[in-house]
Amino acid sequence: MAPEVYALSQNPITCHAFNADRSQVAVSFNNNDAQILERRGSEWATTETLAEHDKLITSIDWAPNSNRIVTASQDRNAYVWEQKQDPETGKLVWKPTLVLLRINRAATYVRWSPKEDKFAVASGARAIAICSFDAENNWWVAKQLKKPIRATVLSIDWHPNNVLLAAGSADRKARVFSAYIKEVDERPSPTVWGSKLPFNTVCGEYNSPSGGWVHAVGFSPSGDVLAFASHDSTISIVYPGGPSIYTVRLPSLPLVSLAWTSEYSVVAAGHDCRPLVFSGSDQGWQESGTLDDASSSKAASSGFGGPGRLKSNAFATFQNADSRGQSSGNVADTKPNTVHQNTITSVRPYDAANGEVSRVSTSGVDGNLVIWDANAISALTGRLGGAQLR
Amino acid sequence: MADINFRKIDIDQWDEDALHESELYEVDPRDPQQVLEEAKARQVAVRSSLARSDISGALTTALESAPYGPNVEEAKTITLQTLLTILNSTKSTEISGVVKTLSPDTQDVLMKYLYKGMAMPGWGDISGSVLLGWHEKLTEVAGVGCIVRTMTDRRIV
Amino acid sequence: MSNVLRPYLAAVRSTLTAALTLENFSSQVVERHNKPEVEVQTSKEVLLNPLTISRNENERVLIEPSVNSVRVSIGIKQADEIERILCHKFTRFMTQRAENFVVLRRKPVSGYDISFLITNTHTETMLKHKIVDFIIQFMEEVDKEISEMKLSLNARARIVAESYLTAVSLSLNCPYI
Repeated sequence: MAPEVYALSQNPITCHAFNADRSQVAVSFNNNDAQILERRGSEWATTETLAEHDKLITSIDWAPNSNRIVTASQDRNAYVWEQKQDPETGKLVWKPTLVLLRINRAATYVRWSPKEDKFAVASGARAIAICSFDAENNWWVAKQLKKPIRATVLSIDWHPNNVLLAAGSADRKARVFSAYIKEVDERPSPTVWGSKLPFNTVCGEYNSPSGGWVHAVGFSPSGDVLAFASHDSTISIVYPGGPSIYTVRLPSLPLVSLAWTSEYSVVAAGHDCRPLVFSGSDQGWQESGTLDDASSSKAASSGFGGPGRLKSNAFATFQNADSRGQSSGNVADTKPNTVHQNTITSVRPYDAANGEVSRVSTSGVDGNLVIWDANAISALTGRLGGAQLR
Repeated sequence: MADINFRKIDIDQWDEDALHESELYEVDPRDPQQVLEEAKARQVAVRSSLARSDISGALTTALESAPYGPNVEEAKTITLQTLLTILNSTKSTEISGVVKTLSPDTQDVLMKYLYKGMAMPGWGDISGSVLLGWHEKLTEVAGVGCIVRTMTDRRIV
Repeated sequence: MSNVLRPYLAAVRSTLTAALTLENFSSQVVERHNKPEVEVQTSKEVLLNPLTISRNENERVLIEPSVNSVRVSIGIKQADEIERILCHKFTRFMTQRAENFVVLRRKPVSGYDISFLITNTHTETMLKHKIVDFIIQFMEEVDKEISEMKLSLNARARIVAESYLTAVSLSLNCPYI
């Protein structure tokens, strides 16, 4: 099945989040507003703009069951948006509630907890704010995870038990914290990450293999395995019970976002513009291919068509190789031969079947939103070397 | 009168949360003296490998547990010299084959040394075109990911 | 352009491709600011190792990557005094019009002749491989430009000398040699 490509904008898409039935999506086009888009056939149309932030929105998450949206921005704030009836017109509109984050730098990443009673906001203030609702005052209050974070937190992910939280940061480490809040959570049952879990317990700390910033973290569906992708073009899979860490080194550019599709496979994407699939188990992990079957589209668009053009093509190839150091032969190289034309900023699960994620959605700097079949994996063979030098 | 330049004082240097250069990588547990001796021992081992014209073996030996961090400048210099003898004595047609036999770790370290060599043109018997030739072949085999790791890794050789 | 230049430009191309993996990154030091980290150098952890690519002492490129910006500095080949002057004039002409070149830095990094500053805004609004192409193209054009200018300067000097000596020979009233 070919991926569904929606060109939403000329501007980059910073982040995206679908609602529960995937009929609406919240996106931010690299600016201060978040847009709610609604699916109309094969198009997406803007229905509402969430304008409250006064700096770039960095992350959006949409809670599927309670139908609430949370947005985080570089203006150090986060807002929770709820659909309420407008007293004058009677229409349903999104109303913001301010969150008291108490951070003094940009908010970089936000995710609802699985039970949707808490959310975590990563920030440049070397802290993560764990927010829960204070019914008495009708606002969201935050408790901060601070130690031992030493740099901007770039990504977070919740464990399915609603208590543990993984965080990747620019100090080259991925960590697992306890975000247990007495007033909200029930006492969690023991997991492979630990049994006694007061707030801010560090249950695990893992260095990126060659000192890159940790761009993405993710717990496996069971929560027993942690994956993190770092800027040194590696993805690492941690089995805390094991005690083993498997690292896959990539020949391509760094990954910035990842999503588990089953207990044994991860889809990750980033600066290489195509989603890669990694698979394995506690015996080892490897790259198993890509979802972006670029070879078919490339064959159609490649200039080596008729015999008459062969000579000029060959000439231009050598000329390019000589004068510009271009090793790939594609002369009319105006666009990369991937579906996404620029860095992919976010990968999220889209659709699940039989307990496994069957489709994933990605959004990127090129303004495209793409929905991929997570099982249509094509091999990467024969595309090493020249392809990477583009 | 207070110092007139108070506006120029860098107050951020007293921010205790800020990371320092030394905290960005794990310090080499080995003693500098030991590192130096190891580097010298490897130099001898490499010569004998080269005599048997076993280039890939020589490279693996030379790049094994390469010295990094401060206080081991001499060991770094010796390792670089050792490496240069290998690089300069390899025929350009053989490079591809040799690079393919190296482990990913060795490829990463080799890339670090290629950039180190290029950063000091004219030093010793560094030849820009030899290093560039190796760089090209190594990038073909190990990909740009290898270059990214050279940038991120603070264990500078 | 000889085949000798190809590995050099290929190395610059692959290193630039690796370095241009930028993202929007808000300052950790100053509230609500967003600065090119490679220029402010305030947070060590978001800077990466600077890499140099060189053919010889004169021709070299310094690439300083960071989380949201890359500084590329180029040392241009200068064989003699005339090339040095021409190179200086040429880069000065460019840097004075830096805003028209978008990615050009107004002042070169010390030790280099011209510098570019590429930030995450540039990689978001322009295609990444086109930026790489631009730098590579600049590098090959600048050599060509300077040697062409040198040739035309020599040609002009010859014409000037010829017409001057013609006047001298006429006034002395003797035939040319």
